[in-house]
Amino acid sequence: MRDGSSTHSDGGGQEMAGGRTTRREIVKRAGVGTILVVYGGALPKTAASGVPKYRTRELAGTLKIIQWSHFVPAYDKWFDNVYIKRWGQANDTEVIVDHINQADIPARAAAEVAAQSGHDIFFFLTPPAAYEDQVIDHAEIVQEVTKKRGKIKPVAFKSTYNQKTKKYFAFSDNYAPDPCNYRTDLWGEVGLKPTSWDNVLKAAPKLRAMGHPIGIGMSNEIDSNVALSALMMCFGSFIQNKEQRVVLNSKATVNVLKFARELYRQGMSNEIFAWTAASNNQAMLAGRLSMAMNAISITRSAELINPDLASKIELLPIPRGPNGRLGLEHVMGAYVVWKFAKNKPMAQKFLADLEIKYIGAFENSKFYNFPSWPASVPNIARRVERDAVAKPSGKYKILAEIADKYTLNPGWPGNTNAAIDEIFQKFLIPQMFAEVAQDRRTPEEAAKIYDRSFRGIFQKWRNLGKI
Amino acid sequence: MPLRRRDNLLTWLVVGPFAIVLAFPFYWMLQTSLKSELDLYNTENNPFAFGEGSPTLDNYRFLFGETQYGHWLLNTVLVGLVVVAITLAVSLPAGYALARLSGRWGQTLGVGLFLVYLVPPTLLFLPLSRVVAEVGLQDRLAALILVYPGFTIPFATWLLMGFFKSIPRELEDAALVDGASRLRTLFWIVFPISLPGILTVVIFTFSLCMNEFIYAIAFITSSDSKVVSTGIYTELIRGDVFYWGALMAATLIPAIPLALLYNTFLDRFIAGFTGGAFR
Repeated sequence: MRDGSSTHSDGGGQEMAGGRTTRREIVKRAGVGTILVVYGGALPKTAASGVPKYRTRELAGTLKIIQWSHFVPAYDKWFDNVYIKRWGQANDTEVIVDHINQADIPARAAAEVAAQSGHDIFFFLTPPAAYEDQVIDHAEIVQEVTKKRGKIKPVAFKSTYNQKTKKYFAFSDNYAPDPCNYRTDLWGEVGLKPTSWDNVLKAAPKLRAMGHPIGIGMSNEIDSNVALSALMMCFGSFIQNKEQRVVLNSKATVNVLKFARELYRQGMSNEIFAWTAASNNQAMLAGRLSMAMNAISITRSAELINPDLASKIELLPIPRGPNGRLGLEHVMGAYVVWKFAKNKPMAQKFLADLEIKYIGAFENSKFYNFPSWPASVPNIARRVERDAVAKPSGKYKILAEIADKYTLNPGWPGNTNAAIDEIFQKFLIPQMFAEVAQDRRTPEEAAKIYDRSFRGIFQKWRNLGKI
Repeated sequence: MPLRRRDNLLTWLVVGPFAIVLAFPFYWMLQTSLKSELDLYNTENNPFAFGEGSPTLDNYRFLFGETQYGHWLLNTVLVGLVVVAITLAVSLPAGYALARLSGRWGQTLGVGLFLVYLVPPTLLFLPLSRVVAEVGLQDRLAALILVYPGFTIPFATWLLMGFFKSIPRELEDAALVDGASRLRTLFWIVFPISLPGILTVVIFTFSLCMNEFIYAIAFITSSDSKVVSTGIYTELIRGDVFYWGALMAATLIPAIPLALLYNTFLDRFIAGFTGGAFR
């Protein structure tokens, strides 16, 4: 500095001089200012926030949840803006919930596990048995809810409990029953109802000739997995037995593959090989399909978009097969708390509280989310029967019956395990059906080859001590 | 028929079908975005005309009123601009150095750099998740700003390297002989001539950032930090229900300025890409 009052010099400029600001200081402050602006604007998650909203936030901290974008937007609004806020205030915890497309759940989970960092609570739509080593034992949450709400539904128990390791690898808050959606006007013309798979096969050629085929996907997507696995069970074909031994290669499997091939040849279109999770809905809403196995998102969407069409879509339990009516859940809501979660105690409390008072979730999901502890929502049957929007009225009454009698876990009669999870994630069931339907393999060959492939997968997980 | 008129007609005959094919997606997006759900799902309606309840601005109202779309647009622009700046800051000197200063190794290094660009994000997102978590950037736009230059810089450097090679060395020599420093030559002679290449890098880098999906979906989940490519995908496809009208509106809006940008600088863009092609 030229006035000689500088404290020190480095030859290139001065730091401070007599309370005046030097060029260097201006540059430094501008730099800090820029960082703060960018920090506060571009990086909102780390920006210094305003006054804390929670009195003792430092005690309980923050809870981060990630879950799918629910097909009912109102559910997310209720969950994000009402439920978690109320729960957060009551528990001095800031709850942050992020949403993800259902198809990206596996990739996101893999990324969080790879990074050993992410959300405290992660939501899956199928039982995530393969992640058993990455999650806490959820037994405490199950016990807490059971203490208040009685027994867990068998489908939820078998979907989340590992028989071998005696560990709850997930906590199921809900599952969605999977009814048969069919067009009453079209089936009326044929003079049949899809009450049995025999009826479906009889009606299919006529329905297709009318321009309204049956829609059961044989593609790499979740709905195909569920519908075809349920079809297999109705014919007495199973991936595993109760002791978790592969039993795919059976006469029943050959029969169900033959049946599906016939159904495709006579009553479906080749669109089913490119089916996506949205295809059931879109094709039904476009008035193209005469029948699909799907949760109630079809009828709920139709009620909003096309009430006239909605009144022509009825719900039934899965059609009866030679082995009876054995259906699968459409989706199995399964939360996990990662081992690397930063706030495990609050995560466990959050899940227990959510399930104990599940009425809000049940109502706001428009009866999509059925509680894994039935006592969490009193009078389910009466509630679904009295749905105000249903046309004809009482349409959803059947859901309670489907939930009670015809909703089983993936891998039934055994529990869902890591091998079943892998088979589902790789969509091997739809691939087996597609290969037979397209005449790339005979039913006998397919049953044998896929049995061998499943045995390999089971052995891998057996070696890892998970089965 | 006069020769000129015949040439014009021929041009239109050749270009016309191409233009129709290329403009069709925009037309389809615009029309779908103005349709009601009832109209969209009615297969008996003429898909090229408006049916019951259409045209309507409901989809746009939903997009801006019920989602954080405006936020996603701003985030996308912010990430794009910062990544463009970082890419230019690194790839301009790197491209020049590889073209002029590194002798016969330059070409090999250039090809090596380009090969890095070809490593697919599906392979990299898992290890990069760890990196992003380690530096504490999960769920922050800064994660994308950190990662995107990883694929924009190699491509931009490779592109600029080719472009710099097409500039006659004599121009630089003349400036150096006149007493200009290497840096001054670079800023006053080389960069102004390289404007088409630089513009190409700007537009291309910005487009890459807008289109990128894997990293954006893996690193960012909070609604207010999402970018357009992931925001519309995660919040306008709910379970097995697609909000087609809003989806089309959401993709059309950023596509228009980008298309105009490409169109405005089309000549320079072509020059940028072909600049180094004949050297």
